[in-house]
Parts: sequence; C-alpha cells; structure tokens
Amino acid sequence: MKKIVLDDMMLTKALPTTAGSRMLEGYMSLFDAEVVERLTAAGYEMAGKAQVGEFAIDLVGETAYTGTLTENGKLTAASAKALENDTVKGVISLDVNGAPRRIAAQNGLVFVKPTYGTVSRYGTVPVACSGETVGVLARNIADCREVLSAMAGHDDKDGTMHADALCKKAADGCEKPVKKVAVIKMEADADITAELEAAKAEMVANGIEITEIEADVLSAAKTAWNILMCAELCNNVSRYDGIKFGYRTQNYTTIDELYTNSRTESFGALLKTAILFGSDVLSTKNYMAKYDKALRIRRVLAEAFGKLFADFDAVLMPACSKPAYTETDVKENPYIAFEENRYTAPASITGLPAVVAGGVQLVGPAFSEGALLDLAALLVKEGK
Amino acid sequence: MDQTTLQSLEKLNQLRLTDAEKEAVLAFFARQDKEMAVLDAIDTERVERMVHVMPILTVVREDVEKKLFTRDELQKGAPETMDGYWQVPRLVE
Repeated sequence: MKKIVLDDMMLTKALPTTAGSRMLEGYMSLFDAEVVERLTAAGYEMAGKAQVGEFAIDLVGETAYTGTLTENGKLTAASAKALENDTVKGVISLDVNGAPRRIAAQNGLVFVKPTYGTVSRYGTVPVACSGETVGVLARNIADCREVLSAMAGHDDKDGTMHADALCKKAADGCEKPVKKVAVIKMEADADITAELEAAKAEMVANGIEITEIEADVLSAAKTAWNILMCAELCNNVSRYDGIKFGYRTQNYTTIDELYTNSRTESFGALLKTAILFGSDVLSTKNYMAKYDKALRIRRVLAEAFGKLFADFDAVLMPACSKPAYTETDVKENPYIAFEENRYTAPASITGLPAVVAGGVQLVGPAFSEGALLDLAALLVKEGK
Repeated sequence: MDQTTLQSLEKLNQLRLTDAEKEAVLAFFARQDKEMAVLDAIDTERVERMVHVMPILTVVREDVEKKLFTRDELQKGAPETMDGYWQVPRLVE
C-alpha cells in the first residue's frame, strides 16, 4: 500500500494533532481532515505524522515544542526525514509561511503549493486562512503530481474553494506548456545563485525563452504578508484558552490567571510575538495604516503578477537565501522566518501556485500547477 | 511601540512576557515599522482592498439538523469537566 505522512497541522482521529505547540499536546481530533479522507479513499495508508514548527510559521520546523531537529549543526525537518523512507510517497504539508518550500529547496525534494482554493483546508489547524494552502512534499515530480491529483477537488465544507472542474484542472491539466519564463532578480548566496543559473541553463537548453527582470513591487509581499498572516493568526489562536481543550496551567486561582498562564506557559516566543504583532496591526490606531494597507498591497501584487503573466508563462525565483540554516541563524535572529519569507510571500499572499524543485521556485498563474510541474521535471531531468 | 502599549497588548491577548521577551518583541516591532516604508511608498489610494484572493461564494447547505458529536465526545479533550460541564474557576465571589 502507498504510504503518506501528514504534517502535524492535519487533524486525524487516529493520531494526536499538536500543530507543534505545547498548547495542543495530546490533542485528539474527533474527525479526519478532508485530505486524509480523500487520500484514504484513493488507497493511501496514513503512515504517521511529521513534526512541524509551532503553528507552521517558522523556518523549517525549529520552533516545535518537542525540540529543534538538527543534523551536523544544521536545522533539519521531520517531513524531509520521513521521505528518506522509500515506502513513503509524500508528506502532506500546510504551507502557511513557506516552510515546506524551504524544506524542499534545502533537501533536494519537490513541493507543490497548489492554487489557493483547489485543495480543501477542512480539518487543518487554521493559522492564516486567506493564504495558507495544503500541498505535497515528495521525492520527485511524479509522486507530487499523483498525490496532488488524489486530494484536489471541491469540498463544500471549505467555504474558500473553486468549482470541482477548476480544482481538477489545476492538479491534472497542462493546457499551456511553459515557453517564456521571467527570472526575478533577488539576492541569495552563491549556492542558491548557482542553482538558479543551472535552472536557467536547463530551460535555455530546452528551448524556453528566459528574461531577467526587476520586480521591485514584489519586495512589498513580505511585509504585507507578515501583517496579514499575524492578524489572522492572532484571531485563530484566540480559541486556545485552556478551557475546552488543550493545555491548562496548574497555576491559577482566577479565570484570568487560568487564561493567561495557560497561554503564556504553552506558547513559544515566536508565536507570542506574532500574536502581539497581529493584535497591534488590527488595533484602532493601526488598522487603516497597516492592516488595510496590506490588503490593498495584496491587490497591487495580484495585478503585478497578472501583468507579468500576460508576457510570461511562469516566474523563476529562489525559495530561500541559503542551502541550510543553522541554530546560530535562529539564535542571532529569532525572527528570521519573517525575513526569509521574502521569497515565499509573493505566492502566499496572492494564492498563486508554486513548485519547488532542483532548489529553485517556480510561480505561475492560477491553475497552472500542471505546467509548473512539467517545467520542474525538465529542471530535475525527471523522465529522461 | 512603547512598554505601555506592549503591556496592554499582552493583557488583551492573555499573555505575559519576560523582560528579555519584551525587549525582543519591541525590536521586532521597530523593524516591522521600518519596513512599512516599502508599503507606504506604493500609492494605494485608488486600490481596492483584496480580502480574498478568489471570489468567495456563500456555501448554502440544506437546513437539516445533524448531530455530529455527543457531549461526551466533545468533552473528551477538555482539561477539566464535572457532571457534563466544562469546569472553570469560580467567576462570582
């Protein structure tokens, strides 16, 4: 039987779901996420869960309450480790702040973040609902495509879904092969630059026209996504109060102490900062200047991509700044995930599909996953 | 962002930071404030807000009562319950 691993943002009846947070330690869901039901019906076996960073907003999972995974001084991810087992076909990951894309880029794996609204988010732990997407991390393009195809499709239980035909088209179809690619100039280290150069050379060798462009407007995506993501997160995690489920402090006498101590003791530093920042941008004083501004910037970015895709079929850009992160990186800058997302935020905030393969990221117009996966197969020479 | 505002945000969000955490959070806020310049440089006065990246249609379902879970099932994950109720500290003295 084909095995699937789920990242710990997917609710499952059989296994605890923690979202990487002490707040949900031991939490058992009463139902399975829609993607779990679909994959099970398609004949996949749910082999287990992979640890994620707290509410999936960090770099590659380093903020999980169970501890940071490292190997030879470098941060590593449980989902990448799961794929070292050949019997595992793919890991289903919730892409909130780009972590699965960075994991794919840094581990020689493939990740597809489908068009927003083509894979059901019913039964995923909600964080930044307007942009987070359920995707597939796999060893190769074929596995990615197969698993995505099995889980994509309209679901009435998720109010943010496209019609079934569009969902299926995104997963299966490739009406317009990629012929023209825009390469976005972005700073990255020598190794990542070399991977981009290799991707460009492979495209040229396959007759794809590439054009290097400046896209300054995309630099706004990171700041705008940080605002929107934290605002939505702040609301979504307000439900965790130690009353109906989740962690409850032993140190309380009043209801206020129960709430405050439960949240303070169980939430990590990055999450607390994100909550406070989200709360601040939604305050009366900052709502228009920050939250409302970020919503308008989202449209500016969507329109900028729209113009870009009038001339090009896809965009090539890095997925991260370096081939691996270390514990020192996080120690020196605890908010590094909110900097590194400059590569992933453009697709997150606009809901566009992205495919990471061969260490680089491809972004395309809505419903172009099929074409992006075909292009990615060229880059990693799959099927040759 | 100053200490007083941060304190009120902590209270609002039922959180309590250590002094070291406060310092780090204030530095984060300062950095984000600085980065607002990138957004402010883009004129959005005539740009409409984009709350959803796709057209959202209200999902309409049949108005049929469904009992998905029992009370016992819903209270399974509760830290403390008593006689079928969620237990909290006394609210009224």
